[in-house]
Amino acid sequence: MDALAPTALSYPDLAAIFADIFQYTEPLTAETSADDIATWDSLQHIALIRTLEMTYSIRLSMDEMMEIRSVGDIENVLRRHGV
Amino acid sequence: MSSSATASSVPVERTGIETIVDEAIAAAPDCLRRRVILPAIDWAAVSPAKVALLLSTLAQSRLTVPRWLSKLLLVAGHALPEDLERTLSPGLVALNRINGASASQKRGELSGMLPALCADDQLEADVATVLVQKFAALGWEEEAVRLALAQRHRAPVILKRAGKAVTAHVDHLPEVRLRLIGTSTTQTLADEFKPAFAAIGWRADVTQADFGTLLANLMRPPEGADAHVVLLDLDGFAPQDWRRSASDASDLLAERVNHLAAALREFTAHSQAPLLINTIPVPAAPAAGFLDRSHALGARRAVDLINRHILEAAEQSKQIIVIDADQALASLAVRDQSDAKLWYYGRIAYSADAVRLLASSFAEAWGLLKRGPAKVLAVDFDNTLWGGVYGDDGVEALACGEDFPGNAFRALQAECLRLRQQGMLLVALSKNNPDAITAFQRHAGMLLQADDFAATAINWEPKPENIRKIAAELNLGLDSFVFLDDSPHEREAMRRLCPEVSVPEMPADPAERPLWLRRLTCTWPLRLTAEDEARAVLYATRREAESAKASAANFEDYLKGLEQHLAVSHVNTATLPRVVQMHERTNQFNLTTLRSTEADISALIQSEAQGLALVGRVRDKFGDHGLVIAATVAIDGSEAAVQSLLMSCRVIGREVERAFLGALIDDLKRRGVTRVSGDYIATRKNAMVKDFYASCGWQPAGGDGERTSWVFDIGAMEPPRSQFVTLDWEA
Repeated sequence: MDALAPTALSYPDLAAIFADIFQYTEPLTAETSADDIATWDSLQHIALIRTLEMTYSIRLSMDEMMEIRSVGDIENVLRRHGV
Repeated sequence: MSSSATASSVPVERTGIETIVDEAIAAAPDCLRRRVILPAIDWAAVSPAKVALLLSTLAQSRLTVPRWLSKLLLVAGHALPEDLERTLSPGLVALNRINGASASQKRGELSGMLPALCADDQLEADVATVLVQKFAALGWEEEAVRLALAQRHRAPVILKRAGKAVTAHVDHLPEVRLRLIGTSTTQTLADEFKPAFAAIGWRADVTQADFGTLLANLMRPPEGADAHVVLLDLDGFAPQDWRRSASDASDLLAERVNHLAAALREFTAHSQAPLLINTIPVPAAPAAGFLDRSHALGARRAVDLINRHILEAAEQSKQIIVIDADQALASLAVRDQSDAKLWYYGRIAYSADAVRLLASSFAEAWGLLKRGPAKVLAVDFDNTLWGGVYGDDGVEALACGEDFPGNAFRALQAECLRLRQQGMLLVALSKNNPDAITAFQRHAGMLLQADDFAATAINWEPKPENIRKIAAELNLGLDSFVFLDDSPHEREAMRRLCPEVSVPEMPADPAERPLWLRRLTCTWPLRLTAEDEARAVLYATRREAESAKASAANFEDYLKGLEQHLAVSHVNTATLPRVVQMHERTNQFNLTTLRSTEADISALIQSEAQGLALVGRVRDKFGDHGLVIAATVAIDGSEAAVQSLLMSCRVIGREVERAFLGALIDDLKRRGVTRVSGDYIATRKNAMVKDFYASCGWQPAGGDGERTSWVFDIGAMEPPRSQFVTLDWEA
């Protein structure tokens, strides 16, 4: 749970999600993207989408699935869903 | 989950929140009645002293703590007084014990609760997750892993909470090598196999066949797999082409299905390994409305047809086990069984939840095959086969019969008879005076009769001792026994003293037991009757005798029936991007694994005398596979050298590569080349083409280490051809 230390994130759960899915425990910023995380491949991307859907009780579209390449993208999408 | 969400919420003034919490606790009775404020408090941040204050405030107002508040407090890590436990679910009771003082000394107690927690289908996801986390934190790895594996359907994240213990646990399990073939992407199922097989005590080592190679893989099953798994889906197996007429489409489907059925039969002739295959589930949407199940263009009708053929093929073999996907996925709504965006994103036919359920079913089928179905059902009497206690209540008072509530017990007796008819032996295991057996005859509502039991132990001895005696008497291993008893203590004693016996957690509610027993996998038969068995043996021997010649003939028939056309052309600006992409991506059927770029190939084919790049498109009666095979050749006068030769795995095993190589040699001959050479360069993935040149009649020409060289004398030798591929040259 150390990953939940104060960050600038609007959605602090993302740190735990990134730790679970990508084993990525560095501090997250809006700029953290698929390029920074080696384990963020096309398959783990599916796991990420699924986890976001479950955690926030939303349904993401195909466009959003493509749009999400970074933490900032996720935050934008979540904001749009009124999370 | 909820705790982490609230624990880290927006940093509002601490003192402000504290004031609100204090006020809420002071006004707890009112807050509780209206169910306000208390649910919103982050209890993990509230001190135990304040929680104690809350509880005493409620007690003073003679209010019991409701389940929702207990849960919030327990998940947040607080302990509740023991007298509150009677209102708690088993999961919350376990959490309370762990949250309480000296948790580390309660391992034995919690281990005893574990089977019930693992089997608890009401256990809430967050409670299960917190329990696993706490087990792991206490270093109780076995408990953490067992609960995480058992409850992973309810809370997928739970496996991560058990941490490294899962990996360590799995490493010690016996290995099962699985070969996974699908009509859609199989990766998500492969991933899910690890926990699913671990849950039944196996470490799954999965290799995946290439996409689109189902029939070839079945007809020529690779060695070295303990079991083959086929993941079918409708769109992948039988994509619709709406330009075809209904009768055309119908014929095509029939043909696909026949190919599959033939391939399944073929498989059993080549491999001794079991094959697990799923039926195709109800389609996500009808293709012909109300007519979907009757009309030739209906999706459901296609599904019915395909499934019927799979089942018929399986019936003829002991090796094939068919997973009924509708049963496996029954807990999911049809619309949740697939996720359209995953299909478009990566040709993934089933949703994450569906894949998890399918993985479990495949694993259970494997477990059942290895272990064999249980042979003996050992049942308790009082409050299991009838309601009430024979010795206390007297035979007339026992609940069993046509009316409520005795009908639930009578229904369980009917299930016992069902299992008896399916070949299991019934054994009575009751703590009673021996005359309890007369209840079956003396009570009019009983369905079972005394002589339905193959053995009885009705006495006051411990049941584990009795079951051992009966096992010796029947000359059967304890591992073929299933023990049904309503008493958790009897179950616990049996688990401790006879760990080989299967001791399922029978539901406390008699109404749930009959269907629960039907779902109990260890009682599922693999074959039902002696005739089935005899027929299977007959099939097996007949097949063995005929397999060698028949299978070759079958495979040839299959290839002939495919009506394959290979259209070969010189690479041009339209096809170049695809050819470059093939060079980038192809790993298995790739002789040199040369990653040529667009510039490389363009330069090579600038002049006819200098080089050649060929590409082939394959079409068969099922459709167009697109550009699937390519080669580049450098030419120097009368000598030529193949630089790259590669093919998509979609069309492997159909002699397309032979026909293509023949065409390539023809083209070189036209250009005046008399001798062509080629290399095979070994990589981690391309062993399948090691002998490709040899199989096409090329001569070895030395080599070193990873590289073997081959030559072909164009004047003196006949280029390879295939009778199964019609060759067309395209401009």
